[in-house]
Amino acid sequence: MDASRLPGFLLRRLLKSALVIVAIAICNFLLIHAAPGDPASVIAGQSGSADPQFMEQLRHQFGLDRPLHVQLGIYLRDVLTLDLGFSHRQQMPVATLILDRLPATLLLTGAAFLLAVSGGVALGALAARRAGTWADSAITALALTFYATPLFWVGLMLVLLFSVQLEWLPSFGMSDPGLDLHGPALWWDVAQHLVLPALTLGLFYLAVYARLTRATMLEVADQDFVKTARAKGVPEGRILRAHILRNALLPVITFAGIQAGQLIGGSILVETVFAWPGIGRLAFDALLARDYAVLLGVFFCTSVMVIVLNLATDLLYAVVDPRVEVTG
Amino acid sequence: MELTRRNLLGATLGATAAAPVLMSAGAALAQGVTPRRGGMLTTILNPEPPVLQIGVNNQTPTLIAGTKITQGLLQFTPKLEPLPQLAKSWTVSPDGLEYVFKLEENVTWHDGKPFTADDVVFSVMQFNREVAPRLRGVLAGIAEATTPDPHTARFVLKQPFEPFLLCFDATAMPIVAKHLFEGQNFRTAPAVQHPVGTGPFRFVEWQRGNFVRMERYEGYWKPGKPYLDGILWRIVPDGQSRRLAIESGQVVMTTATDIEPFDIPALRAKPNLAVTTAGWEYFSPLFWYDLNQRVGPLADKRVRQAMSMALDRNFIVQRLWFGLGRPATGPIASTTRFYDATAKLPPFDVAKAKKLLDEAGHKPGAGGMRFALKHLIPPYGEIWNRMSEYFRQAMRQIGIDVTLESTDAGTWASRVANWDYETTANVLYQFGDPTLGVERSYVTSNIQKITFTNTAGYSNPRVDELFQAGRTAATAAERQKAFSEVQHLLVEEVPLLWVVEVAYPTVTDKKLRNVIQTGTGVHASFDDVFLAS
Amino acid sequence: MSAFLRRFARNRGAVVGAVLLVLVIGMALFAPLLFPGSPWDMAGAPFQPPGEDGMLLGTDSLGRDVAAGIAYGAQVSLIVGAVSTAVALLIGVALGAVAGYLGGWADDAIMRFTEFFQTIPSFVLAILLVAIFTPSIASIIVAIAVVSWPPVTRVVRAEFLSLRNREFVQAAEVLGKRPLAIVLTDILPNALSPIIVLASLMTATAILLESSLSFLGLGDPNMMSWGFLIGSGRSVIRLAWWMSVFPGLAIFLTVLALNLVGEGLSDALNPRLRKRGAAH
Repeated sequence: MDASRLPGFLLRRLLKSALVIVAIAICNFLLIHAAPGDPASVIAGQSGSADPQFMEQLRHQFGLDRPLHVQLGIYLRDVLTLDLGFSHRQQMPVATLILDRLPATLLLTGAAFLLAVSGGVALGALAARRAGTWADSAITALALTFYATPLFWVGLMLVLLFSVQLEWLPSFGMSDPGLDLHGPALWWDVAQHLVLPALTLGLFYLAVYARLTRATMLEVADQDFVKTARAKGVPEGRILRAHILRNALLPVITFAGIQAGQLIGGSILVETVFAWPGIGRLAFDALLARDYAVLLGVFFCTSVMVIVLNLATDLLYAVVDPRVEVTG
Repeated sequence: MELTRRNLLGATLGATAAAPVLMSAGAALAQGVTPRRGGMLTTILNPEPPVLQIGVNNQTPTLIAGTKITQGLLQFTPKLEPLPQLAKSWTVSPDGLEYVFKLEENVTWHDGKPFTADDVVFSVMQFNREVAPRLRGVLAGIAEATTPDPHTARFVLKQPFEPFLLCFDATAMPIVAKHLFEGQNFRTAPAVQHPVGTGPFRFVEWQRGNFVRMERYEGYWKPGKPYLDGILWRIVPDGQSRRLAIESGQVVMTTATDIEPFDIPALRAKPNLAVTTAGWEYFSPLFWYDLNQRVGPLADKRVRQAMSMALDRNFIVQRLWFGLGRPATGPIASTTRFYDATAKLPPFDVAKAKKLLDEAGHKPGAGGMRFALKHLIPPYGEIWNRMSEYFRQAMRQIGIDVTLESTDAGTWASRVANWDYETTANVLYQFGDPTLGVERSYVTSNIQKITFTNTAGYSNPRVDELFQAGRTAATAAERQKAFSEVQHLLVEEVPLLWVVEVAYPTVTDKKLRNVIQTGTGVHASFDDVFLAS
Repeated sequence: MSAFLRRFARNRGAVVGAVLLVLVIGMALFAPLLFPGSPWDMAGAPFQPPGEDGMLLGTDSLGRDVAAGIAYGAQVSLIVGAVSTAVALLIGVALGAVAGYLGGWADDAIMRFTEFFQTIPSFVLAILLVAIFTPSIASIIVAIAVVSWPPVTRVVRAEFLSLRNREFVQAAEVLGKRPLAIVLTDILPNALSPIIVLASLMTATAILLESSLSFLGLGDPNMMSWGFLIGSGRSVIRLAWWMSVFPGLAIFLTVLALNLVGEGLSDALNPRLRKRGAAH
């Protein structure tokens, strides 16, 4: 790619991303406000009793007595200044709540993603290389099994096996606060807690990547440039690395970008099963409690994450495949 | 078969656990167990509460954790007699108008400032008056609140209010520090995020979604206490993980709804665990199916009676609640004051229920169904779903076609508040006294568009009169008369279908001692609780 | 057609998948004959293990027959899977065809719209939609369809992009055929193979999505679906493993069958891959 065109490309992509972000913010806001039930009545309900004075007090405090477009205007203005609002239910700024939980989710989804991509591409490549043999069949069957099994179900089974029966691994939480650990000991504890949730979240996507890699590799292997290389006597290993794998990675990369959002969605299920203190769990709790501010914040935050990741995949794409033209 | 035996065993365990309820540290000593100082109590907090300051929030988890930090003037026995907490003694004038509380003298707040009668008057007259809507009516009846000396608080009522003392439990009337709240918005004051109380434990750290940590307050006013070094509350949103936590010893106590009823038989069988349902007498939660009286057929008393007869309460208690609790017999729970055992609901009788519906003019139509109803499932967990599914099948048996609607907590609360439901279910606390916790669901004056009022819209002038008489009568005997009559009247009218007197299980590791000692159970301050070695 | 069937039958996995699928559909159709009465009826004592009390797969916490629940659940899971996929295809094919055929600003607008939907985490969006519309079979189908169409649009657009410059399309254009006719009679039939394959996989995903929603308590409370069975069984998994194991197995087998059939279709419909398959 012509290096001088990169800044322009970046600028265009950033501008477009910003527009998408604003659109998402408006959409989220309208969607959530279309929902029945307002936070004041939830708090009143949960506090055991309430009277009109108390409800009015709450509604006023939440700004719910203002017109919708005013609330939207305030929301957009705040978002632009990176102020995600205040959760009156939790009595905390939303940005603080999300930032508190974000590392846990990033750790979980990051670990699951690495597992899925590395394991998936490796297994897929192996299966493609040995297409038609028992190894291919075994890998394909394994991938199909993971692909066809509900995520939460895998989680439950893993807990039953590794926590209940074998007692090898902890079944919930991110670390054991009772042990008051620091430094490497804490990291080791977190790593142990991470195994089951990351495995649960990662296995499904591992299956996806394995299938994808196998399919595209077989497809690429059939194409003319590979045949040409083969005819020229290029060693098979080099053909695999330089020609087949490189081209087969393209759909995997595209897919990984798209999957970023899915992984975050999947983390809601996994964080629920394993009591993992991340933003997926935060979003689900917020939804059940109708905590608008937190919900809007989480959606906004995850959307931005996905946009950033998509931007990154586009760039990566350009690096892996020089033929791909980088345009708006 | 085995199930039944276990349940019987469970019932006996429950009964014996309730008997030595006032076993204090002294009694424990007499049994040869010396309280051991030290050790962290690890337990569960579920669901994660928004804040830990009682009053600002009154959800069960807030109350259970908050009572270790914030205290009240009194606490109550399982029979609902008052015991001292921050008030070491109290007197009530013969006319029932003047209440004088003598306060403990060496009490300090967790920030080191002394606790005085000014804090008490501020908490009652300003803090709770604003944040506790349930008590607003009661507190408006206080004519005068004074502090004759720094350790005496005196309240004069406009008219006698016999259950007045019952309002002074920490869960109902938390005593907060005047110097931290005065002149501030009570809901957003810094002390709400970092609660400061007089209790045995002080707030240390809260990692949202993960845990809350409390440590022993070294300046606690009872010398040598608390025994525990601290309490660690882990946030565990999944029911199976919670069961696993108590089974594997990762936590040593679970409370309230932490453990689903169906897991209790298995936990009872564990030799290292103790399960009790004692310690909820002050709250006496009562489960009922709520019938919106504005919905055509439900305005007819005969229809409601038929629906009540179609419910097999023994089946529900044994099979759905796994023996936790008792079949409800009427609007007042048997553990609440002024309960009248002679007022009884008609027994389970499907044939008679059908006959009543025939008489009410609801003949079976196509498919044997007489009329259709919707049932809004309260979104609070497994047991609520099962109860709603049971309701649908029980009603279909007598020809009422019930369709379930599921929803989230926000929608549920707002639809109930706006009377926008046909039937639903609910559990309400009774707070020891019909005037404090029962009246609100039946009197005409409390038909409001707010949850936990008389949202069903039941209205009967005689019922109103009787609750009023019970509220204002100066003596317990006079109140009993009014409440007995109202119970007899209500079991005849069945405005709501009372089903179960809920008993929440407290599961503890047997090393943990002195947990349930009062009528508020795990809502005590835990200054007596210790971990035996 | 028979050539296609022969090609399909050459893939043993696909045949197994097809047989499984026929069994599941048969179970759904004959549920009322196999288990007369409602699957919600309390048919026996609660928590009976499989085989006892005349209950093949045991009973649940209210004494309901798990086998009956699975048979009736097949109806719901298949309906949710099929209808939501149909709706998603309708949206996805229409948008993808327009974008791929017209190109230019329409393509740009549609792709931005698609991107927009792909940016919001789809499962979170599904949860949100079901919660807003209140959980019912209709809201679940709508929610699944709304989050499932973007991949269809992308695939269809890609197919159309490559097909619209082929000689036969250009020939049709030169002959003055109307664009709609070209799209429907010339391009779409040629783009059908990936759509059919995608549809079988989407049905499988829809069944998984429904079970995930039910697992989080967002199922239709009046529909005995497999997701509901697992949702109500998972909390008692160690007291009554059969309550969640059998419905989990039912989901697994159905999703597996759909995937196998999808692969079989893919092989049978794609001559290039078939050639390669034969070479091995």
